[in-house]
Amino acid sequence: MRNVVVTGGSRGLGLGIARKLTAAGYRVIAIARKESNQLTSAMEEAERDGPGLLHFVPFDLAEIGEIRRLVTTLRKDFGPIYGLVNNAAIAFDGVLAIMHNSQIEHLVRVNTLSPIVLTKYIVRSMMADGGGRIVNVASVVGFTGYSGLSVYAATKASMLGFTRSLAREVGRLGVTVNSVAPGFVDTAMTQNLDAEQRQQIERRSALRRLPDVDDVANAVEFILSDKAKSITGTVITVDAGNTA
Amino acid sequence: MSVRTDVVSLFEQVAAQQKKKLAPLLDELVLLDSGLDSLCLAIIVARLEDTLGVDPFTAAQDADFPVTLGEFIRFYDDAVR
Repeated sequence: MRNVVVTGGSRGLGLGIARKLTAAGYRVIAIARKESNQLTSAMEEAERDGPGLLHFVPFDLAEIGEIRRLVTTLRKDFGPIYGLVNNAAIAFDGVLAIMHNSQIEHLVRVNTLSPIVLTKYIVRSMMADGGGRIVNVASVVGFTGYSGLSVYAATKASMLGFTRSLAREVGRLGVTVNSVAPGFVDTAMTQNLDAEQRQQIERRSALRRLPDVDDVANAVEFILSDKAKSITGTVITVDAGNTA
Repeated sequence: MSVRTDVVSLFEQVAAQQKKKLAPLLDELVLLDSGLDSLCLAIIVARLEDTLGVDPFTAAQDADFPVTLGEFIRFYDDAVR
């Protein structure tokens, strides 16, 4: 069974991705600070119904210095890692001019630095094992403007650049690197949007609605599948046509 | 097996897999002239971590990479002690 690490896999989009991949027959290792009730249920469901498996490993991804140890433990406990889904991210909205420096630093640490360092150690094992798949969950905010999200946007744009260059670096070894850029999806992260903002996003989307978690998880599943073996260094946008 | 044996064997293995022509593996060989590129060296570092259980590059205080093969072997020798 192929192992796939999903960061931020205890809730929201990450949990949706973890569930989808478990249903597709992967052994999913969900990394998050705390186990949620929904994750516990999903693990029980996977244990009962299969075909994949879902495990939880508690870890604070802001602890950059501990990431190497995490990867060593994952490889020891689960074996070779086939896929990595860098999904964990935080979002603070606010005007840059009055955003506290500690918030800016925390956003960059969790959304950019942490996935890059985690990828460094996991891609090493993929290189040693002869191949793998990396999926970076970016955002449409990485290539379109949205007032109040400048720092979050910077971190997401950084993942798009990281994806393209790393794909060139490790392609020769059979490792693919891609991004999925969701539009505004209905999760805890977007709960700050009020009804008017939500309607505005829907109105501006070609399909007149928001994408849901399942839409994004489908794209991740596709990239991890053998069907996507010739796709690397690109981004799949899942935004119901919001940026079309 | 000694660290030297592990390192030399991995240089040969990775060169063969990546279809690179390897220079004679003498201590004074400059790694950049070995015939392996930086990605090959990264594969060697990843595999040595599995074989020896150490990653001296993460543990090191500075970001300098050894220049010669002899320095590379000593770097790992010191780390496993």
